[in-house]
Amino acid sequence: MAKANIKDINRNIYDFKNADNYDFKIEKGLNREIVEEISKMKNDPDWMREIRLKALEMYNKLELPTWGPDLSELNMEEIATYVKPKSKLNSSWDEVPEDIKDTFDKLGIPEAEKKSLAGVGAQYDSEVVYHSIKEDLLKQGVIYTDMETAVREYSEIVKEHFMKCVPISDHKFVALHAAVWSGGSFVYVPKGVKLDIPLQSYFRLNSPESGQFEHTLIIVDEGASLHFIEGCSAPKYNKVNLHAGCVELYVKDNAYLRYSTIENWSKNMMNLNTKKAIVGKNAQVDWVTGSFGSKVSMLYPMSFLNGEGAKTEYTGITFAGGGQNLDTGFKVVHNAKNTSSIVNSKSISKNGGACTYRALVRINENAKNSKCSVSCESLMLDDKSRSDTIPVNDIRTDDVIFSHEAKIGKISDKEIFYLMSRGLSEEDAKAMIVRGFAYPISKELPVEYAVEMNNLINLELEGSIG
Amino acid sequence: MSKLLEIKDLYANAGDKEILKGLNLNINKGEVHVIMGPNGAGKSTLANVIFNNSEYTKKSGEIIFDGENINDLSTDKIAKKGVFMSFQNPEEIPGITTTNFLKVAKNNIDGKPVKIFELKENIKKNMEELNMNPKLIERNLNVGFSGGEKKKNEILQMLVLNPKLAILDETDSGLDVDAVKAVSKGIDMYKNDENAVLIITHNMKILQNLKIDFVHILIDGKIIKTGNAELAKEIEENGFSKYKK
Amino acid sequence: MDIIVNETPVRTSKNYGINNVKLNDIKIPEKLNEFNNAKIYSNKSKISNKIENEKLAYGNGKILEDNVYNNSNNILKIETEKEDIKIVYEFDDNNLNLINNIEIIGNKNCNIVIEYKSNTDKTCFHNSIIKAIAKENVKLNISIVNLLNDKSLNFEAIENTLENNSIINYTIIGLGAKTSITNYYSKVLGNNANNDLKSIYLGQKDELKDINYIVNLYGEKSNVDIDVQGALDDNAIKNFKGTIDFKNGCKKAKGNENEFCLLLSSKAKSKALPMLLCTEEAVEGNHSTASGSVDNSELFYIMSRGVSYKEAVKLIVKSRFNKIIERISDEYVKNEISDEIDRRLG
Repeated sequence: MAKANIKDINRNIYDFKNADNYDFKIEKGLNREIVEEISKMKNDPDWMREIRLKALEMYNKLELPTWGPDLSELNMEEIATYVKPKSKLNSSWDEVPEDIKDTFDKLGIPEAEKKSLAGVGAQYDSEVVYHSIKEDLLKQGVIYTDMETAVREYSEIVKEHFMKCVPISDHKFVALHAAVWSGGSFVYVPKGVKLDIPLQSYFRLNSPESGQFEHTLIIVDEGASLHFIEGCSAPKYNKVNLHAGCVELYVKDNAYLRYSTIENWSKNMMNLNTKKAIVGKNAQVDWVTGSFGSKVSMLYPMSFLNGEGAKTEYTGITFAGGGQNLDTGFKVVHNAKNTSSIVNSKSISKNGGACTYRALVRINENAKNSKCSVSCESLMLDDKSRSDTIPVNDIRTDDVIFSHEAKIGKISDKEIFYLMSRGLSEEDAKAMIVRGFAYPISKELPVEYAVEMNNLINLELEGSIG
Repeated sequence: MSKLLEIKDLYANAGDKEILKGLNLNINKGEVHVIMGPNGAGKSTLANVIFNNSEYTKKSGEIIFDGENINDLSTDKIAKKGVFMSFQNPEEIPGITTTNFLKVAKNNIDGKPVKIFELKENIKKNMEELNMNPKLIERNLNVGFSGGEKKKNEILQMLVLNPKLAILDETDSGLDVDAVKAVSKGIDMYKNDENAVLIITHNMKILQNLKIDFVHILIDGKIIKTGNAELAKEIEENGFSKYKK
Repeated sequence: MDIIVNETPVRTSKNYGINNVKLNDIKIPEKLNEFNNAKIYSNKSKISNKIENEKLAYGNGKILEDNVYNNSNNILKIETEKEDIKIVYEFDDNNLNLINNIEIIGNKNCNIVIEYKSNTDKTCFHNSIIKAIAKENVKLNISIVNLLNDKSLNFEAIENTLENNSIINYTIIGLGAKTSITNYYSKVLGNNANNDLKSIYLGQKDELKDINYIVNLYGEKSNVDIDVQGALDDNAIKNFKGTIDFKNGCKKAKGNENEFCLLLSSKAKSKALPMLLCTEEAVEGNHSTASGSVDNSELFYIMSRGVSYKEAVKLIVKSRFNKIIERISDEYVKNEISDEIDRRLG
């Protein structure tokens, strides 16, 4: 049969770019002066300045990974680590400069905020330009602010948690992040407070040849509950951009956190992001991840199940088209009794794109009576593409139930025939099957909360039919 | 009477194996035809070949539907011309509800957007008639359906899509009484002077309450005898041995 | 000497500790006398002892590979005829080191069983390369049975080539040796070629089993099936790396890989990296791995029939192993394997 044309993600709505208007753009490259300058501009307290400088040293010491996608195109000498937009932090969209507000309008963020979000943060290049949270949540003691404000106003709690879940020595890009980080969100949900609608942060990188290094620190205190959504996009430039964000999540005893990410960076982006969660007793963290954009992604959210009865679920979909190499997956370490993890990953490769599912499951000796079940499925839409599954399973005790299943293949001819016998063209039949394949994951994505994802999932994966 | 389907001297292979060896068949509007035959005679192959399933290849002969040669039409085009096939083993398609699927199919077949409300009413009415669990319609297409539920779902699709010719490729066994009844009832509801039915079966129970115009016996890739409903009764009593070489 | 062996075809994060295995203080013997205790049972096949040494695609690294090419004390080139061949290497106090190089030219269907066993308590060293080629339409059944004592070092590098419509059924019984490193690579070039690999391993005390299976599918409608059943007791460590690589052009190829590790101790460590690599659309690939302790209800059922805990565990392990041991054609060797499992789980 002829090849169906499963459409690429429609990028038009993300690819508009604004003039590269900035207040301040730091010199390209990376050295001690640049790090010191960033630190000075941010009025860092001493402890933060020290972390930055230590991290820079670490960055210079650590090697690039010897595995995974080719990163040779990335030249740190060409990347500006800090770009300050022409805007201060605002709590009303009306105060945000017109061109920047326009960007977020087009992405549908203010609209989504009105409808269905408990709070919104918006970052443009290196700085957060907008942050707001619903009044009643403030009263309950919920904190949702940009990281710089948090460093100033909640210094103790930030100091206690910053780069503790993700150590600066983790890998080269974490060290880089810690040296030059800027922007990002800080969330604290007090004991027992349950948010029934989500908070969302949106990251937009407008400036060419620059990096975005936002830091997200979330603490969900005992018995509290939160859904946090992160969205990312950037217009396409010819030169490489870099995203090396860092997400640290602390989910205390009996707490719940759902962390959803829709990553739709442009196809010149190197997305080398690090996300980890420490999960307490009977607490749970769920990761929902849709990876559609960027040229290269290396992204493996990680859960440390440190408390007895801790749980984690990872639900992810990766869609790689031409020129994309998306290396994604999940890592979990079981560190206590009665912990459990569930992994459900799907990938779609088309038109020369490459998807890799790379993962680690480690069940340590103290994790008696733990369970882990992993399922990953990969769909190849043509023979130009690539799909690899590289999961490591490291089981260090006997009292466990562990299973891992993976499948790779194409769309079934029988299914296509069945749908065509009901009048669907071959293209439509294939598209319908691909949507069905993605559905168990896409239904977990918070579609109703942001126009961006409606565009991604509905228009492209569910759209073209009917 | 006006001709609906005409098959002339059809030869076809499944893989390298020759299955249909010079089959001829004419179906007019308003008629109900039954094809019977032992296992391996080519019954299911015929349905699949009419629908241009790529696992089968036509070697020679012609299939003419509604005055047009449909030999080389793709499966969806054949469906759009008004042919429907009820599958022996309907595929399970995860991630799409039966309602949505019917909407998409109906849009394609009719070539215009359906009115959702009307469609839903239509589905609801037919499901009641077929004694179907109304919840099935919101579940993913055939996923986790029992054999009987899948069969009813095929008949439901036939009623909703309302083709000119319905080819029912029946399973030889395994259907409960309720599903058999639903098939008979469905055919009864569907049938009128402008359309036709071709039932491919072993199962006499499905035929019991139907008015059958022609019964064909298919053996070794050819129709070797054609008769009326009496012929089906005779086969039920005596089997095919008399007709085998 | 410290050596790094069994590199995976694709690397993953170094922190996971599975890309390769580093062995410290390995004494690699050189300049050996002929291995005197090798028995070869064969009637028809042509057996000679000149082999053209070609570099392996994967193998156990340059040091061990050169060791075989330069220091072999047993070389067999087998040009098969239709028959059953058995080769038994029995280590004893005078034959403690075997470096063997075997090449199997599969001209005709043939069953070949190669057995290594220790008739000594001293440390035995074994390093081998076994290459096999299955010519068009030929079926080879090759079994390697390792019953070396628990002080031994065992290195195996296996490389197969499959032509059109050929079959290689490989069976690896990995019961013996303190440190056992197996590198297996099949190049499935031919259309409709079929490589079936089944193996068992048993790790006890502080043994290390490092298993690296790589199968590259090139031929249309080619097929690979890998099934690995293992059990780990005490402080044993097992690393299983299994790669099925669907190369562009292997239309309608199928690959299945399954590994199951029964954990008999809370200190045993089971690592697995089952990889599927794919650059072809029209394929079907599946893999599954699982680890866990003995199923309690199964155990309870067997024990309710008056069987002791230890015997019940033994039964459960053996029931998993048996379907693989059954593949070995030689009854005598089969019994030896069974006795060895009984003795080791005793």
